[in-house]
Amino acid sequence: MRFAVLMSLVFVSSATAADPFRDVVNSVNKKVVKLFGAGGFRGVANYGSGILISPDGHILTAASQMLDSAEIVVHLYDGRKMKAVVLVAEPVLDTALLKIKVEGKKIEEPTGLDLDYYDYFAALKRPKAEPGDWILGFSNQFEIAMRDEQFSVQKGVIMAYTKMHGRRGIFDFPYQGDVYVIDQITNNPGAAGGPLTDRKGNLLGIIGKEIKNTLSETWMNYAIPLGAEVETKDGDKTVTITLPQFVELGMKGQYKPVKRPEVVNSIGGYHGIIFVPDVLEKTPPYIEDVVTGSPSDKAGLKTDDLVSFIDGEPIYSIKMFHDYLKRTKSGMKLRLEVRRGENLQTIEMELGDYPAKKLPPKPVEPKK
Amino acid sequence: MNRQRILLACLPVGLLITLVLAPASAIDPDVVKAEKQRIAAVNKVRPAVVAVCAYGGTAVGSGVIIDPEGYALTNYHVTDSIAPVMQCGLADGNLYDAVIVGLDKVGDVALIKLLPKKEGTPFPFVAMGDSDKVRAGDWSLAMGNPFGLSMDFTPTVTYGLVSGVNRYQPPAGGGTLEYTDCIQIDTSINPGNSGGPLFNMDGELIGINGRGSFDKRGRVNSGVGYAISINQIKNFLGHFRAGIDTDHATLGATVETENEDGSLSEMKFNAMLEEADIYRRGVQPGDKLIAFAGRPMTSTNQYKNILGIFPKEWRLPLSYRRENERKEVLVRLMGNMDTPVESNQPQRPPQPARPDPSKDRAKRSPAMKLFTAKKGYANYYFNEQETKRVYSAFQKNGDFTALKGAWLFEGRFDANDRKGPLSLSITDLSDGTTESKLTMNVPFVIKMPTAERLQLQLPDNSGGLLAVLTHYRRLLAMGPAGFTQGFNHGGKEPIYPPPTDGKPVEDWAARRVDCEVIRANYAGVQGKWYFDPKDAKLIACEVAVLRDEDPCECYFSDYKIVDGRSLPHRIDVRWGDKNYGALFFEKFDLKK
Repeated sequence: MRFAVLMSLVFVSSATAADPFRDVVNSVNKKVVKLFGAGGFRGVANYGSGILISPDGHILTAASQMLDSAEIVVHLYDGRKMKAVVLVAEPVLDTALLKIKVEGKKIEEPTGLDLDYYDYFAALKRPKAEPGDWILGFSNQFEIAMRDEQFSVQKGVIMAYTKMHGRRGIFDFPYQGDVYVIDQITNNPGAAGGPLTDRKGNLLGIIGKEIKNTLSETWMNYAIPLGAEVETKDGDKTVTITLPQFVELGMKGQYKPVKRPEVVNSIGGYHGIIFVPDVLEKTPPYIEDVVTGSPSDKAGLKTDDLVSFIDGEPIYSIKMFHDYLKRTKSGMKLRLEVRRGENLQTIEMELGDYPAKKLPPKPVEPKK
Repeated sequence: MNRQRILLACLPVGLLITLVLAPASAIDPDVVKAEKQRIAAVNKVRPAVVAVCAYGGTAVGSGVIIDPEGYALTNYHVTDSIAPVMQCGLADGNLYDAVIVGLDKVGDVALIKLLPKKEGTPFPFVAMGDSDKVRAGDWSLAMGNPFGLSMDFTPTVTYGLVSGVNRYQPPAGGGTLEYTDCIQIDTSINPGNSGGPLFNMDGELIGINGRGSFDKRGRVNSGVGYAISINQIKNFLGHFRAGIDTDHATLGATVETENEDGSLSEMKFNAMLEEADIYRRGVQPGDKLIAFAGRPMTSTNQYKNILGIFPKEWRLPLSYRRENERKEVLVRLMGNMDTPVESNQPQRPPQPARPDPSKDRAKRSPAMKLFTAKKGYANYYFNEQETKRVYSAFQKNGDFTALKGAWLFEGRFDANDRKGPLSLSITDLSDGTTESKLTMNVPFVIKMPTAERLQLQLPDNSGGLLAVLTHYRRLLAMGPAGFTQGFNHGGKEPIYPPPTDGKPVEDWAARRVDCEVIRANYAGVQGKWYFDPKDAKLIACEVAVLRDEDPCECYFSDYKIVDGRSLPHRIDVRWGDKNYGALFFEKFDLKK
């Protein structure tokens, strides 16, 4: 590992190590935009960052809630304020494509703008960055900049190029492809969608969202590489979708997002477990009782059992249990590991439908 | 402690592997050179980095020494809980007693002074750089004592990029702690780094670290830290050294972004206070703000940035446009602490005082001898010292204190359309008043302190020249004793002597002279006297006889020696935007 780091340092050091990045910063700053859209409450940022990928005003950014707005406001590097619309978003790639809209012109017509931009396909041909390489992250994190004020620049090192496993324990994380993991805290509010570049300002990837790893309770700093590829279910068949495809077809107005199974966003399947009162920040999921005849009763769960794992995911609290259950539905089989006395037992439970007449106890909504 | 040792023990092994795998020849010479420069910069500044501690040695924050006398900069929010007397650890391993000197609560800056172990021993210090030259992408070094880690006060060094400049961060505590025009860094700063220095790679001080953008991740480095720019601090430094609890400023006018939905924005004045100087200078609602203090204005953030870097009462050039005409005026800034910002946070009930042995020990510190509490001052002791220093330096140009009799000046005047001989007499009368009589074709007479307010404005259109001359004689003949209502150092302020040929000024910034100020109050009239910081020669004064009116400005020049004392032979008088005229003195008769 140390060897790799050293070698790459030697490799990249042709520019003087002490050179400031002023020129790089100025040139990148002309190819990025500040985005403003929906949100602004409950910790959801209503601002974001974007990368210009055509002189006509195509913008690549992260597929965030901020884009759930009829019109997105764009601030260019020189202070010009414009509007943009979302052409298409692909949640599986966690990426969206926008285009600047010019008054009096239809969105599919050329805007007549002549903006500085990143040539996405030229950048794609460059080799991927390696662990140990220096990177620069550019974004409008914390909405520090407005109008003609510059993006924030941060320097970091690529720690790893790896798969971000689509753990279901990680809340709302749809992207499951490769990522650059970065040692700098780049993924702050509003940073998603900004460019990750090499030390010369060449585009490497798109800075990702704020994701907390629930296993280690640490925040991830990562970027989605330009050549991202993800396997996913489109209806019944498994397909590979790629970021280059998305960009190419998206810019032509021909990209169709994959049909994904309907996201279960209810209270989930019925289990019938009554937990101990959820009074702590992380109350351990001890079972106080089970409703007679309910799936948990049929599966053989008992008072004082401690639910420890569901389908191999560690469960530390009652809240985590309920979060997990939100993604389930009636008929799904869950494999629970429960601590009973000194032993760990594996119990399979098939979730059912909620009884038509609401019986006590209903699942306690996790405290926010 | 054990773990630390283990870590240390591991280090040489790591280094060994590095050396084996990468022979020195394989490393690019530029990398080696950059590393050497970095190490040299760190070594150069390390001795001057301060661990600011409560009395007794509990680490609170960081700081940096900026001159051999031991003056050091830190954050207001660091000294707030521990002032007036604290202790400061240096990399030499020693704890030094220190005392608060000056404060900027809005800008979150404090000046403190360390006491040497042996009187007269100089402290290591760092040079201040020019933060206006810093750009995003520059390298920077942050030093200090994060988490109070350092037991022997050797500072922690972190290395990173300047992420942005001219950043604005709104106030964080009821109108205080507003970071304007600050430097954003990805250089790691954490609790305890507050008040510590940010250096460029030449080891020059470019900022004071004090704040970060913290969100969900808690109050530790989030990759986004902010340093107060050293150029802002330089503007306040003269005030700090004079022990002043300084105030920031406003123009007394609101500016809105015109064309908010248009492609490019413009700044337009929409309302202004009638007592504001900008209103008296003829700027009107609807005028476009083009530039202020030499910076083009295109956004509200920039407007807040530029306003935030100056103390109140400073005069700065402002450019505006009305229709197609561009004008430049000098504008005096108003204070803004008089109208405290409403805080939405409920006031916390005062905590019951706990006996604090360190506070008792602090009271016995020798640094307490350098502290005097007074309203409006962070430490009045330093104001007295600075006032004495300037006054005694001023006296070296000529001691007039023995000349308490009648003063007679003769010469001529040139007031635009009127010219002629001039005579001025200033005499103390037996009833304790002073009669001043100025004859320029016709005589003008006032008696202070009994004169009516409106009389004090004589001669007409001078703004109060007779009152100024009365004050002037008191300053020369009596010094501080002549101003029992106040005679205090007022920090540093720029003045702009107008051209002596009376031509209109195109570029005020080119005429700027930074002066030391003495505020002197007599007969309810406050004067500000401006001294050249080099030799304490009197350059100018401003005396406002009426509240919210323009002061009478006098500019003293053509100094010549008369009876062994240096005296100005020319005074240019200005009121508002107009030259009143010039007085030329040819004969002085100053009686004992």
